[in-house]
Amino acid sequence: MTVLRLGGYSIRLRHRVLAAVLGSLAVLAAVAMWSAATGSTSLGLERVWDALLGQGTKGDEFILWTLRLPRLAAGLAVGACMGLAGALFQTLTRNPLGSPDLLGLTQGATTGALIAIIVTGASLQVTTILAAVGALATGLLIWTLTRGGDPSGYRLVLVGIGVSAILAGINGYLLTRTTIIDAFRAVYWLTGDLSGRDFRQAAAVGIVLAAGLVVIAFLHRGLDSLRLGEAAATGLGVRVGATRVTALVTASVLTAGAVAVAGPLAFVALAAPHIAARLTGSARSLLCSALVGALIVTAADMIAVAGVGDRQLPTGVVTGVVGGAYLIWLLIANRKKGILS
Amino acid sequence: MTASPLAAREATLGYGRHVISEGLTVDVPEGEFTVIMGPNACGKSTLLKALARMLKPSHGTVLLDGKDIHHQPTRAVARRLGLLPQSPIAPDGITVADLVARGRYPHQGILRQWSAEDERVVAEAMDATDIADLASRGVDELSGGQRQRVWIAMVLAQQTPLLLLDEPTTYLDITHQIEVLDLCAKLHREGRTLVAVLHDLNQAARYATHLIAMRDGAVVAEGAPADIVTAETVQEVFDLPCRIIDDPESGTPLVIPRALAAAPR
Ligand SMILES: Nc1ncnc2c1ncn2[C@@H]1O[C@H](COP(=O)(O)OP(=O)(O)OP(=O)(O)O)[C@@H](O)[C@H]1O
Ligand SMILES: [Mg+2]
Repeated sequence: MTVLRLGGYSIRLRHRVLAAVLGSLAVLAAVAMWSAATGSTSLGLERVWDALLGQGTKGDEFILWTLRLPRLAAGLAVGACMGLAGALFQTLTRNPLGSPDLLGLTQGATTGALIAIIVTGASLQVTTILAAVGALATGLLIWTLTRGGDPSGYRLVLVGIGVSAILAGINGYLLTRTTIIDAFRAVYWLTGDLSGRDFRQAAAVGIVLAAGLVVIAFLHRGLDSLRLGEAAATGLGVRVGATRVTALVTASVLTAGAVAVAGPLAFVALAAPHIAARLTGSARSLLCSALVGALIVTAADMIAVAGVGDRQLPTGVVTGVVGGAYLIWLLIANRKKGILS
Repeated sequence: MTASPLAAREATLGYGRHVISEGLTVDVPEGEFTVIMGPNACGKSTLLKALARMLKPSHGTVLLDGKDIHHQPTRAVARRLGLLPQSPIAPDGITVADLVARGRYPHQGILRQWSAEDERVVAEAMDATDIADLASRGVDELSGGQRQRVWIAMVLAQQTPLLLLDEPTTYLDITHQIEVLDLCAKLHREGRTLVAVLHDLNQAARYATHLIAMRDGAVVAEGAPADIVTAETVQEVFDLPCRIIDDPESGTPLVIPRALAAAPR
């Protein structure tokens, strides 16, 4: 345990959590650097450095500033948003599988995106906006449907699964109404990809992430106490209802921001909190979840760019394979304990 | 009568349409060690939950310091009143020290997350409940009795003048039961107001300074233990024929149940 005190400021950090956060930061920095240096044209660290400082060739600077850095920044922010959202949903539902996919937010975003693709013929901007609206509306719907009832996580999970099933049906219907070209675009969007993302989009997710982090700075201790059960949390002075709503809204906004820009990158939100829990030794650290999320997406995107043979892959293909493999490994490793955490 | 810091006024308590108590009025006397007793499912925990603002009365009010408890900021209430729920949940993998530290929540803020004061109070609470050497163990690897003491330490770390404890002695062996009750008695002597639900009438009679006997959601009798723990009241509350003798150790009433089958003769 390390205690940090500075004037009126004081905070207590577990060594293991601190090590996990610093460790993931270091790995993240290395992966980011490596992914800026590699790709269809390998620059090498020296040329990346020159281009960063504005001393590189025109070509190098174009590759770095226009192609790679925006994509990298978008990947970092999207991954962090998804990792945070996943951790929030798992805490809220008290369920190790609680994630935007399980609760229907991803399907909601997909509905928005499909409508955009059908109506506007896939203008990226409209797709982005409608996907965000879809995710937010789903979050709102789940909140309305669970309000006032038994506040345990199960209700949230069951309502989420119901909403998710309905939306999946709607999405299936929408897909049958598209032209073959739009259907191809839709499937591509559904896979999730970071290619061609520019600084504007990266900045948009970055703002969502920053806002989410600020809210969480105020919320995380209350959320931690909520894990002791409603009764004990109320006894400690946590505003249980307000904390839950704020967390649900925050998680929905984070999901909306991330999915709107990158599509529903499979399994990031689900896997990141579990990996973070392993690294920190089961103390659920929201910050560490965010870092791990960023790491998964950045690393997956680097693999996606390297691709198979000479073809690049959509980022979502790689996160799906990596995340899915991790989940199965987790199930096998924990089959004796019978729990998932 | 001195103003009571915590009281229920004409409170109707229940879950949804299922009413447990109707028009219940209870005063928690200042500076006393109040024990609530009564048969299973008579509404003891329900009353305690209402007093701790975990359950909102459908009619009537619960007053903390004379004001409706539901109209006061919940964090301010948490600095006045601590609650040990009957069956709290420990999150997976949390350590003893971490769980006890949660008790400091109502005293902390976004900047002041862990002051020297927090550290001292948590250490004291762990010493008082005899769990200091378990500090770095995981709560889920403790015995039921050790776990119960960890939860009591968490509530102690909250440093509230009012303490509500729902069956603080369940899971504990006889020695630790007495230790927890002695700790309660000590807290009471130091000036705190305590309310506890206890099932052992003899312990209730020995430690309480004020007894509330409940049956079917209503208060049947209340007052000093010597006046309440009588053969008639025990019969009325628990349907249990018994004899009362003086506890040779403390001089308080001691309940000796009679065999139920033999009773009618
Ligand atoms: N969360 C709940 N929802 C619905 N009914 C409840 C709930 N909690 C308790 N009850 C009901 O309220 C009644 C009183 O329960 P309560 O927990 O207050 O009893 P108790 O006196 O504390 O009993 P025990 O000695 O067994 O702890 C019981 O009939 C119980 O079934
Ligand atoms: Mg009870």
